[in-house]
Amino acid sequence: MIDITQNPVSTATPKVRFSPRRVWTLAMATVTQLIRMKILAFLVLFCLLAAGAGFAFSVINPEQQLNLLKSVTLGALQIFSIVIGVVSTALLLPKDLEDRTLYTILSKPVPRFDYLLGKLLGVLLLIGGGLIVMDVVLSLVLWLRQTMLLDSYVASLRLENMDSPEALAQVREIVAKQGLTWNLHWAVWAIFLKAAVVTTVALLLSSIASSTLFTIVITFCVTIIGHGESLIREFFFRPYLSSLAGRSAAFVLAALCPDLAQFDIVDSVVNGETVPWGAIYDMTGIAALYMTVYLFVTHLLFVEKEL
Amino acid sequence: MRRKLLAIAVLAIFGAVKLPLEERVTHDLRGRRMLAEPLRLGVGEDLGQAGLAAALGGLRGLAACMFQLRAHVEFTNVNWAKVDSLYKLVTRLQPRQARYWDEASWHMAYNAASYYLYNQELKPALRGQLYHDHVMRGVAILEEGLKFLPDNPRLWQKLGETHWHRTKEFKKAGDAYWESFQHGGLAFTERFAGYAWAQSNDPESWRKGYALLKRLYDKGGPTPGLVEYLKLLEQNLKIPAARRIPDLVPLRKGPDPQEGPVR
Repeated sequence: MIDITQNPVSTATPKVRFSPRRVWTLAMATVTQLIRMKILAFLVLFCLLAAGAGFAFSVINPEQQLNLLKSVTLGALQIFSIVIGVVSTALLLPKDLEDRTLYTILSKPVPRFDYLLGKLLGVLLLIGGGLIVMDVVLSLVLWLRQTMLLDSYVASLRLENMDSPEALAQVREIVAKQGLTWNLHWAVWAIFLKAAVVTTVALLLSSIASSTLFTIVITFCVTIIGHGESLIREFFFRPYLSSLAGRSAAFVLAALCPDLAQFDIVDSVVNGETVPWGAIYDMTGIAALYMTVYLFVTHLLFVEKEL
Repeated sequence: MRRKLLAIAVLAIFGAVKLPLEERVTHDLRGRRMLAEPLRLGVGEDLGQAGLAAALGGLRGLAACMFQLRAHVEFTNVNWAKVDSLYKLVTRLQPRQARYWDEASWHMAYNAASYYLYNQELKPALRGQLYHDHVMRGVAILEEGLKFLPDNPRLWQKLGETHWHRTKEFKKAGDAYWESFQHGGLAFTERFAGYAWAQSNDPESWRKGYALLKRLYDKGGPTPGLVEYLKLLEQNLKIPAARRIPDLVPLRKGPDPQEGPVR
């Protein structure tokens, strides 16, 4: 006769440890699943947009053209990353439930945290991969446009006998400032960080939501509020601006939403500002913090969820 | 249930802890010129800017570009009121981009003003009035832009050019060119400050202009313009013959800058 009190392991659920390999497998499966949903069709649209923005509107001056190209394409990158992040995350859990994939996965010794992390990593890999491809296309178009514009502008100055060294230096400086620099890639990195935070928020909401639409709508609301969070914070920190009730409401909103405006360096990059390393550390650090905490909260909620 | 309560507690504690952290990061990023400083233009304007920031997120630049293209279309349609209102939107969306202020002002002070000045269908008095109004609108746009970007050499330079070529207020032109040079503007803005002061009606500006141009002359490499305006200042300030520069007044090839806009 076996004394079960002396061997508790035999009746308890075996403890499965966190496995990076398992998370990676889940992430790759998520990427495949999303690619099959034809989500990356946006990439083709982006390439057409970059080419269009780069070579259309030739009537405006070189500075305007390069500025326009960067603004339009970086804006498209932001839309791409946030929309893909929110929609794909909101779709994943319900789709896994509908297809019964979730039950197949969780019936195996796969901890729910691994499943969540795998899903998040999959979406982030897809967004990151897409952003890299689009960054390469944007850089190529920008470099081509920059070279062509500089040559034609210098030629036109020579034609009008206005090619003084000072004028040529100014044109070169303007084109170099508005052209291809490393700062452009840091702007893309900031876009990725913002999308990563929004995706984690979407995953959190998805773990408590009863419908896909709810997750999408609420995540977009959080995204909009997140862009104005610094103003809400100001209402909380400066008592003379509002009443106690106003401050309490401001605190709740500011506490719940991440400050997404911290990642909005695109305008500065388009203006030709240089991105310092400190700014990159700040943005990466705060994004990692948001993601860690929101993922932990998601885990706490998802682990008790009845599926 | 216990974990749900724990999740709410974690969110609440993190929410409280993150606020000062976000405040610090935002402050650092603003200090590094990565994020725009909050605009202090009165409650209404502050709320408008914040509303735009929240509604458009990081897409303000994109929206500004779209409105700028609309404005360009209206420019080709010679619809100046629409150009002005669209550029007002553009500059509201991107108040820290000097280029937009520059273009908005250029459209009003040069394109719109010249259009009305040479419009044969209008009565002469009306043409003059509309010319004047649009030039002043261009000046007002630049002055508004300088409230957002007080250290921007390009906007100061454009203000100097507008006063020189359009309003003919040479004292203001000189002051603006000088501000441009002081804020790191191109080398010629220093000379042009002196040239503009030389053409003003203000003796104090003449003295400033003379000191500046004489210093540049003594440094060597005098240009025809430098000699011409230095001669003008010597005459205005009644500088004794012994202290005057030996050069002759150069023959002017271009039109006299004191004349009005040339067709």
